[in-house]
Amino acid sequence: MVETFPPPGYIPMASALEGIEVFMPAPAKPNLQTDLFEFKCPQCGATTAFSAGEGSLTCPNCGYQEQLDTSRSGIQAQEFEFTPVTLERSALSQVEGRLDLDCQACGALTSVPATQISHSCPFCGSNKVFQRESPQDNLRPKNLIPFTVSQKACADISRTWLGSSWMTPSDLKGKSLLTDFTGIYLPFWTFDSVTTAAWKAEVGHDRTERYYQDGEWRTRTVTDWRWESGAVRLTIDDLIVAGTGKLSSRLINQINEFDLKDLVDYEPKYLAGLQAHMYDIPLDKAWENGRQQMREKTKSACLEQTSTSKVRNFSMDLDFSAESWNYVLLPIYLHTYRHAGKSFTLMINGQSGAIAGQRPVDWNKIWLVVAVLLAPGVALGLLGIITLALAGIGAAIGAIGFFLFIIGLAVSLVILVQANKLDDI
Amino acid sequence: MNHNQEPWLHNLQAGICENCDWGFLVPEGKFPGKCPHCFRQPLSSIGENLAELPNLRPAELYLPFELSDSRLSQVVKAFVDGIPFSPQDLSTRNLLNRLERLYLPVWLVDCRIRATWQAEVGFNYEVVSHQDHFIGGKWISKQVNEVRIRWESRIGRLDRQNNNIQAAALEEHHSIIKALGQFSWQTAQSYKPEIINSENIRLPNRSPEDAWSDAEITLHTKTAEECCKAASAGHIRGFTWQPEFLEPNWTLLLFPVLSSYYIDDSGSEIPVIIHGQNGRIAGTRSASMKRAKSASVTILLVSAGIFILSLLLTVLSATLPVILAFAVIGVAMALLLGLGSIIPIAVVWWFNRSQQPVRV
Repeated sequence: MVETFPPPGYIPMASALEGIEVFMPAPAKPNLQTDLFEFKCPQCGATTAFSAGEGSLTCPNCGYQEQLDTSRSGIQAQEFEFTPVTLERSALSQVEGRLDLDCQACGALTSVPATQISHSCPFCGSNKVFQRESPQDNLRPKNLIPFTVSQKACADISRTWLGSSWMTPSDLKGKSLLTDFTGIYLPFWTFDSVTTAAWKAEVGHDRTERYYQDGEWRTRTVTDWRWESGAVRLTIDDLIVAGTGKLSSRLINQINEFDLKDLVDYEPKYLAGLQAHMYDIPLDKAWENGRQQMREKTKSACLEQTSTSKVRNFSMDLDFSAESWNYVLLPIYLHTYRHAGKSFTLMINGQSGAIAGQRPVDWNKIWLVVAVLLAPGVALGLLGIITLALAGIGAAIGAIGFFLFIIGLAVSLVILVQANKLDDI
Repeated sequence: MNHNQEPWLHNLQAGICENCDWGFLVPEGKFPGKCPHCFRQPLSSIGENLAELPNLRPAELYLPFELSDSRLSQVVKAFVDGIPFSPQDLSTRNLLNRLERLYLPVWLVDCRIRATWQAEVGFNYEVVSHQDHFIGGKWISKQVNEVRIRWESRIGRLDRQNNNIQAAALEEHHSIIKALGQFSWQTAQSYKPEIINSENIRLPNRSPEDAWSDAEITLHTKTAEECCKAASAGHIRGFTWQPEFLEPNWTLLLFPVLSSYYIDDSGSEIPVIIHGQNGRIAGTRSASMKRAKSASVTILLVSAGIFILSLLLTVLSATLPVILAFAVIGVAMALLLGLGSIIPIAVVWWFNRSQQPVRV
């Protein structure tokens, strides 16, 4: 039997020496998706969309479901190294501009930002997922976590959350607008690294000593400073850093506890009917942020090794190794609602249902409560003063009034601070 | 006698030393001289027809002697110098007078290889890393570019002619190279009977069949390097192949050495060989225990004489007390010399112990 050469899966490549043929494994077929994806129901022709509840591509018209490949890449998802070329490409791909999309269903022309990679036609509801053709293949998202929280659940979560504080307006819970959540895949970078640090510092050890002064023995605390040193090696896995600066980082930080075990390979079908954004914080900037967090973690680990918490002249050398990154899309629901002429943003983690956002404060309610809290003290105080002036009695009543006033004032201050915080986000 | 159907064997006669078992082709005029290796006895003639000698193939290339007379004298003198109580016979002049020029053989094999191969080839690439330093409440960050290797699988086919692949033709090849160092093959010249046939040539004692395993290893390594180059890679690992060796052709390369000897205390000839290109010299350097013992005995006798003289002076000091001082000094000197008499023997013992015996 004559064996065929080269075996299947190998392609010839240029050889630098005469008389030697070289074959390399054929590269995996590039995922050259067409610029536009249209998801039509094979049964009724209606537009299908990804359903978070079902975890499938679902037709809202006839109920047809197309199961998606749900095999999880999880934390085994491929990660990439920091090559100079990648960092350069990451920065280059920040092209500002917009794209004009021609709807294949109704012919409407829609303009979307270049960073928006999925789109639903606002006129006919047809789902066209736009995929920009990018020469920087590495910098396309490689993995995502599919939505598991449905839009309906978002409404319930947000109502519960808004109603959980008595400081918010009473009519907020019933707002019909709260059903209109937009599912959006936001860009995040994940970073891995091993940090190896060697530290040294002067560590203070307190002791009490007796000394004689002005004819008597006294005691005082003296700190002895001794040099200490140590080493720390930390493996930091999947540190999540936001890839967009368009949303409040404070809000994102409150809901970015994602379980990366649920990562799946990027597949346009997951984006059907949803929006997705490309990063606007390039890899090098995000990595700077990630490194800063890793440095602080390592520094804390070093400081934990000191024999006391009194430390001065702390210095450390830190070496990063085995650094890698991944670019992932994570599911977030966004909702902006108006109340009393002001806009408020709500954000829900599409995987865990964690919520963060802004809540309006009903200041009338707050001031009423403050008044109620202060009233007994003021009333008793006044009564005490009057009775003291008229009958020479009432000192006790006045004292009780003063005491109640102080308590009311303290509670009022706490409430005002909390209300201010709520209003401030 | 004229044995030469082969032109390269013209004017040469084959002989073997029954002491060291080295076989030689020697110019007819010199035969049967002393063995040019061990110098212990004359060569015995072997074979009437040189072309029928086993393991003998035509010489193709040779490396000429490149050593000047002054350099040669210099290296021989350096060999002799520094040996305490060197044997009577070990002198620069003796070693130079007894020099014999000698060519040692290495197999050269030409063959065509057809093969399929597979390996992992490595390409260098850079990654950006960081080294940070925290001092005075501030972070100082330094970017560091590290070179890493990306390994990729490659397979291939080859059909190439390989010429002059070397393989040891002597069992002693590796010990000779270890003692003398490598030879520079860049100066190799085509074999010229008119030059080489006036010199001693060592006969191979490894057959091409025996030497093939060496050649195959060399070919494997060389081909792996070539495949790496063909794939435009910087590194290669896990190279495996299924080769077919075609049309092998065996010839000889001759490399130059000089041999000489000196006679040690026991009357044995101790061989010394010299690299014919760079003059590196190898041979056992031994000090003479016989001479050391003579020196020790002489010192001891002198010591004894002084001691006896001192005793006489001690007796005479009974009449002239001043002499007692000389007697005491004499006794002390005698004791010191007596102790010192051990030094020559100790020095020679230590020197011989520190020398590694060189056998080629």
